[in-house]
Parts: sequence; structure tokens; C-alpha cells
Amino acid sequence: MYLLKYADGVITFPEALNVSITGIVVVMLILALLAVLVLLLSKAIRAVEGAAKKKAPKEEAVEAVPTATGVALPDGQSAGKLDLVNVDDKTAAVIMAIVSNESGIPLNRLQFNSIKKIEE
Amino acid sequence: MSIITSIAEIFQTSGFAALSWQNWVMIAIAFVLLYLAIVKKFEPLLLLPIAFGMLLVNVYPEIMYDPLSIATPGGEVLDASAHWYDSGVLRLIYCGVKSSIFPCLIFMGVGAMTDFGPLLANPSSLLLGAAAQLGIYVAFLIAIVIPEFRIGNFVFDGFTAQEAASIAIIGGADGPTAIYLTGKLASHLLGPIAVAAYSYMALIPLIQPPIMKLLTTKKEREIKMDQLRTVSKAEKIIFPIVVTVLCVLIIPSTAPLIGMLMLGNLFKESGVTDRLSDTAQNALCNIVTIMLGVTVGATAEGKTFLDIKTILVIVIGLIAFAFSTAGGVLFGKLMNVITKGKVNPLIGSAGVSAVPMAARVSQVEGRKYNPSNFLLMHAMGPNVAGVIGSAVAAGFLLLTFQ
Repeated sequence: MYLLKYADGVITFPEALNVSITGIVVVMLILALLAVLVLLLSKAIRAVEGAAKKKAPKEEAVEAVPTATGVALPDGQSAGKLDLVNVDDKTAAVIMAIVSNESGIPLNRLQFNSIKKIEE
Repeated sequence: MSIITSIAEIFQTSGFAALSWQNWVMIAIAFVLLYLAIVKKFEPLLLLPIAFGMLLVNVYPEIMYDPLSIATPGGEVLDASAHWYDSGVLRLIYCGVKSSIFPCLIFMGVGAMTDFGPLLANPSSLLLGAAAQLGIYVAFLIAIVIPEFRIGNFVFDGFTAQEAASIAIIGGADGPTAIYLTGKLASHLLGPIAVAAYSYMALIPLIQPPIMKLLTTKKEREIKMDQLRTVSKAEKIIFPIVVTVLCVLIIPSTAPLIGMLMLGNLFKESGVTDRLSDTAQNALCNIVTIMLGVTVGATAEGKTFLDIKTILVIVIGLIAFAFSTAGGVLFGKLMNVITKGKVNPLIGSAGVSAVPMAARVSQVEGRKYNPSNFLLMHAMGPNVAGVIGSAVAAGFLLLTFQ
């Protein structure tokens, strides 16, 4: 097997070229195979999860957050459901603005599920 | 005994008399690295222990002393009473590097810190992670073709295939992988390769942008990419298991690196081992980083480190980094053409592991040309794919040359 013949450390340029081309092809193939597998698995899992969601009661579907689909809203707009626990609207707005500013992510690309005040 | 004689004897046994000029040069280099780590904040978590290990071994070389290494060419230890516990303290800790325990444990910590979500949301980014391993194979060829030469007292007798493979893996931009492979194939080059790999990783914000700019047009750099889809918990849990089975079955020698990386990730994503995940990504990873960093730095003892091979390792390492970046960007351009303008080629450069530094570079460069651009999450896909890609590349080189 050619893979074992370099154990003595001696290698010619054509052999090195052969190893290099084989190496990059092997890495490409394995990662491409992985990409295909991930794609198929994701589709299968989403299909199963989608089927499970359809079976769930209709009320839950009504409560689904619009931004949960992952689609960015137009610039300057935001939407969705946010649970505020012991937090007023103004404080919540300030917190969301700070998170957006610190992370550099526009508000229309962020999704907040709940903001809860932690009692000390 | 007069006071002067006593002082003279103390001086003769001190480091001032015992150290060679090579040690003094390395001490100066250690000072520069400490400066870069502390003042410039270049990968300080790694560069600082490496620099301090370098300083320690050059001030006191005995700290890496190995009595069992003084042997006949046949391998018979000359001092029959020598024992492993007579070794220098850093030599004892260094066993964790030689045995590959430390790089594998670091990989587990990296796995526990990594979110493969962006990669799962866009599986084609795995191809960018593969393309960005190009530098490994270009560097391997360069190392092989360098002829023997002599400069003064320095003689270069060429690199063996094992040495060339170890140098080439610097192009993977992954410290633990470089240490793992070099420890297996050419452990005498561990010092220069580790120092080069970590130094270049720290310098990624300086190395990559000119290459990215050179290979892309302004229009390509301005491309805004669609938001990634949300990845479910089930996908994140199944992914590490699938990767382990697939990669290890195809190239078994990837098992220690890929296996530990994915174990760490499964700790994180399973949601049932929070304590283990926390330990892997914090306490354990920090402890191992200290021991690995200091002992790798301690392999850079002046008399063995200051060699023509070290200079070549550093030069070829830089070439490897540059070609890996170019490979990723060029493949990004290809994907941009195939997807009819939906992929910003700047995310390709993040395919050179170095998580998350390389992804951050893509983000910063993207925003320079389009302030409303947000490439970070898109670049994280190729970035974490690069970790898998470099581990696979290392496994292939190990299979070929061990």
C-alpha cells in the first residue's frame, strides 16, 4: 500500500505531489459527504418536527411568534411576542436597545422571548 | 576560602556563566512574545504561557532535563540509576504533549465551546472549510522541494516527509491539531511549529485582509447574505454523533481529535450534562492550556531552537496560512458564481479554523465595504468546518506518514 512506503521519511517531488492532491481530494470528499448527510438529516428532522407541530392543538399555532421563522423583517420594523415579567415597557425597550447596540445586531434581526426582573 | 573565591564559584554555577548566546537570544524573543501577549493582547491565553515557558527553559535549561534521553545509539540508558522522576519538572508535564493527551483535551474544550448551528444552517460551508486547507498541501510541497544548503556553520539537510507534513499542518491554523500531528511525526520540531502556528493565529487580523482584498472585487465584498435559518436542538445533538461515526470510519486516525471535539460538543448540546460541559469548556480547558502552553514554550531551548530549520518552519508556515486563506476565498468566489451572487467570498477566509478570530476578520472586512453587512454568523459556518477539515487533513497525513 503506497500510504505506508514513506515511513523512512524519503519522498520524491512527484510522490509528494500525489500525496498533496490525494490529501485535498480526501478532505473535500469527506466534508462534501458530511454536507450531504447534514442536509438529508436536517430535512428528515424538520419533516418529523413539522409533522409533530401539525398534530399539536390549533391554539398553540396561533401563538407562534412571527419572527421565529428566521426571516428578517424590513429595516426599522420589529414584530413578535415578548413576555415581560415585572418589567415595564420603557425598561424593556432600553434593554433591547442596549443588547442590539452591544452585539451590533439590528433589532429587526433579534428575537426576544422574555425579559424578567431578577429580585436580589 | 576567601569571599572573592566564593563569589567567583557562585558566579560560575549561575546562569550568567552557564547560558550560551542562543539562550540569550531566546530570552529576548520571549520578552517580545510577552510584550505581544500582554500589551498587544495577541492570543494572550496561549502566547503568555508559551512565552513564559520559553523564558524559563532558557534561563534554566535543566527544567526540561530528561535523564532517560542520555542513551547509547541503541537506546540503552547510560545512567542505570536514572529514573523518570529525576526529570525536570516541565519535562514531566510535557509528557501530556508527547502522549497527545493535552491537544485532545483542548479539542474537547473547543467542542464544548463551539456552536455548530451556523454550519448546520448552511451545510455548504463545510466545503469552504475543506478548501481552506489548501495551504497545508502547498506548504507540504514547498517543504519537500527545498534543497540541501549550507550557510556558515548552519547546515540544512532537507526536510523528511514527516517533518514536511508537520510543518504543513500550520496551514490548518489549529494549534492543538498542529501539536498533535507534530508530536506524532516530528516531535523535535514541536517548539518551532507550535510557536509559528500560535503566532500566525494571533496575527490573522494582519495576515488575512490583504489576501482577501487582493482576491475579491469591491462588488463581491459588499454582498449581503440572507439570514440563516433556525437550527433545531435535535439537529445539533445528532450532528456530533454523525460526524464522529463518518470521519472515524473513513480515516480512523482522526478518532482522537474528532472524537474528543465531538464529545465536548455533545456535552454542550445534549442539555443533560451541563456540569461536564462547563468543566470541559472552562476549568479543564484552562488547566490544560496552562500546562500545554508552558511546556510547548519550554521546547524552545536556544541551542536546539535557533536553527536554520526553525527559520524555514516560520517562513513556510506563513506561506501555508496565506494559501489556506486564498483557498477559502477562491472557493467562496466559486460558490458566489454558482449561487448567482448569494455568497460573499469574504466568509471563505474563515475556513482556516482559528475560531472565532478568522470569522471576526470576515465580519470586520465585510462591514468596511458595506456597513449594514453582518457576516459573522455566516463566517462561523466555514470557521467551525475548518476545525473538522484540519483534523481530517491531520488524520490523512498521519495515516500516510506515521
